[in-house]
Amino acid sequence: MTGEDLSELLARRAPGEWELYGKRGTSRETVSRAAGATRAHRDEEGWAARWWEQGSLRFAAASSPTGLRTAIEEAANLTAGAQDSLDWPSGAFGAEAPEPTPLPEPPELFTELARQLAAESRGEAGLQELTIRVGRTAETIVNGRSLRAALSGSRLDGVATAVGRRGTRACEARVAFRWDEAPDTAALARRLADRTTLPLSEKPSPFERGELLLDPSVSSALLAALAGLFTAAVPRWVSRAQFASPAITIVDDATADTPCDGEGTKTRRVELVREGVLRGSLCDLSSAHRRRTPPTGHGVRPSYRNAPATRPRRLFFETASAVPPRELLEQVRRGLYASALVAPPRVELDADRYEIEFCGIAVVAGRAQGPVAGARCRGRISELLRRMTRLGSDRAFFPLPDLVGAPTILVDRTSFE
Amino acid sequence: MQEMPLDTASIARWLEPLARTPDETADLFSESRRETVLAIENGALAEVATRRERALAARWCAEGRQTLVASSGGGDAEAREAVRRLRAALGRSPLPMRPGGLDEEPEDEGSTAAPRWARRLPGLIARAAPRHRLTATIAESRREIVPARGAPASFTRRLFSLEGTIVAASRAGDEPRAFAFHAPESEQITEELKRALSAAAEPRERPIPCGDGEIDVVLAEGCAVVFLHEALAHPLEAGAVSPLSALADARVAVSELEVKDDPTRLDLFGGYEQDDEGSTPRAVRLLDGGRVAGRLTDRAHAGPRSSGHGRRGGAFDAPAPRGSNLVVAPGHASADEIARRLDNGLWIEQLTAASVELSSGQFRLRFPRARRVRRGRLADECGPGLLAGEILPALAAIEAGVGREVQPYRGLGWCARDGVVVPVGGAAPDLLLRRLRVRSLA
Repeated sequence: MTGEDLSELLARRAPGEWELYGKRGTSRETVSRAAGATRAHRDEEGWAARWWEQGSLRFAAASSPTGLRTAIEEAANLTAGAQDSLDWPSGAFGAEAPEPTPLPEPPELFTELARQLAAESRGEAGLQELTIRVGRTAETIVNGRSLRAALSGSRLDGVATAVGRRGTRACEARVAFRWDEAPDTAALARRLADRTTLPLSEKPSPFERGELLLDPSVSSALLAALAGLFTAAVPRWVSRAQFASPAITIVDDATADTPCDGEGTKTRRVELVREGVLRGSLCDLSSAHRRRTPPTGHGVRPSYRNAPATRPRRLFFETASAVPPRELLEQVRRGLYASALVAPPRVELDADRYEIEFCGIAVVAGRAQGPVAGARCRGRISELLRRMTRLGSDRAFFPLPDLVGAPTILVDRTSFE
Repeated sequence: MQEMPLDTASIARWLEPLARTPDETADLFSESRRETVLAIENGALAEVATRRERALAARWCAEGRQTLVASSGGGDAEAREAVRRLRAALGRSPLPMRPGGLDEEPEDEGSTAAPRWARRLPGLIARAAPRHRLTATIAESRREIVPARGAPASFTRRLFSLEGTIVAASRAGDEPRAFAFHAPESEQITEELKRALSAAAEPRERPIPCGDGEIDVVLAEGCAVVFLHEALAHPLEAGAVSPLSALADARVAVSELEVKDDPTRLDLFGGYEQDDEGSTPRAVRLLDGGRVAGRLTDRAHAGPRSSGHGRRGGAFDAPAPRGSNLVVAPGHASADEIARRLDNGLWIEQLTAASVELSSGQFRLRFPRARRVRRGRLADECGPGLLAGEILPALAAIEAGVGREVQPYRGLGWCARDGVVVPVGGAAPDLLLRRLRVRSLA
């Protein structure tokens, strides 16, 4: 059983109304600890099919073509509710991946990162575990409308776990990272040091109100949590004309990453918010069909095991008037610099509510006053977006798990708990 | 499910040179997994998805070092290739083996459980809660472990999960409520599932905010397993550094409290007949008379004395010591007695999420709703909220007078740690805890 056999099988079951996805992934991973290490070599193969049969859209996935044939038969034997088929895309993207060369082993960075973390934290934080993964994927998508897509990618990513200790108090942090260029252990060490040592101060916020300066890692996590505003029906509280402050432009643009999404729709830049006005949304084939709009190329497959779903691919803040982060700091008369989140942001998109918990630094007249172990901001998402008045020039991208990018952001008139 | 055609004798022979000393472990793990996912909306089957996966991994470990070679596929040829690559990664001499292509995956008969649930579930759910959006997952996993030394082991687990939202009536109108039910798949769970759905859809008052501050709580209807999974099972996993690490035999809770982690309870979601390293599991007492009594171990931490808690999310994950079913022994108190002793506080029957930070011992438990107890009587509904505390003070705050009725908690199903997800479960009586921090999420 091969991919061609599966295409023929699907074409017989659902002429013109099918899609076949194949993926091969290979990775080398090292998990380093002070005592011992784990090395893993992984080679994964996955297949997935969607087809429209007996009035409903079906999905099957397997780790081999033979397994997929069985899964297709099983799914076809279950009667689901009536659904429309999709407007399957056509075209050709990418080229067959060249014969792969052996993957290199992940770089050995445990000792270097541990040293930098110790220096950043003045000896208070220690690196507990560092996972580094080098990976490569090759994907193919074909469908009953002559789509032929061949995508390939590689990445260097991982997770670092550190523990800060002061007296009897301890604080643990787990930070995921992805490096598109050379490994940046210095930035990773700074993030780990802040996240593990600031909460040890046990000092609450000295202010109840003030300005809030969001570190790029915090503003990225917040943007990732708000991504649902751009992928589903717009909640009733949203005012399109006054969605955010005029300083805010939000874009999704993965054109530099891959030529098409996980369904074979061409990748394009989508301006979601322009100077505070909500202008667009993200669609995959299914949501585009429901909304009767063209798909935007945001059918994302985190794994071959699941059907594609609408998700951002490379979502980020953009601004024409970015200023250096130091200037933003100088503009804080009295407030907090949110250096790292201590819990995932909590948002209720329908109810227009958000809550973030963070550790950071108290700031008065642009100068750091001392650590803040934990503070909480909560309120209306609409107000938060309208109070983001200035954006820094230090935009950075974080795997959340899709890439989300944000700079330092200044938020006016915030309440702290 | 079709037997996997592994030549276990040959595989053991290939692995044997990698485990020459008692400290060394070498094995081959293979999994064949079949899953059907049914999306059910308002009494109708809206979408179906099926999955078939086979994968295997060859592993060597000794003295804190571990090497894993994992790949898709599950036949003899893939197993041979995995062992060959493991030996190459360890710098050992190659295997004298015949060349050959990869095995064609055997075909097997289809699942019988999935079509049965697909026919039955929409109506069964609709009778309890006509409006709902739920996802049922019927999974069957066959795992086989071939160690370098000793007998190979294999076992099959069938699991059923139903999760999502139901719309229930409340005095202030319709109210969406989260629902989760996880149990080993069998005919016998149908009645229990009906009862769970009916209870979840009961008309109730619309909850009001529960306020912030310190409060006494009763964890009822078995949901105490979620708290103890975070406060005992994770901290007592071998290799974990936690506030309990240096407290072997120390009394940390009331002497009435007996807690064990029991993978042999196959009626609970986290049970198994063999762990993922081929060890026969045994129940481990975590608290014995309120004292820290044991740790959950795997082969990497305890060699052949492993307690049988070496678990993997799948072939692509290395095994690690993990909890399974948290089981608390019954006490003697009735629910009425416990409510009277609580006097004023919160009566919580559902915990939907939990986390623990092991180094500091801080944990968080999220509840969607609770009942206020005033002067020993159940009063108004409140929630959602967050309970927080630290492991040692919270264990010490469990009051004597543990409930006498042990109930399985089907809301607990999957535990993720370091990205590795394993099924877990448990059963517990009502527990009264004094002065936990509560924060309203309303």
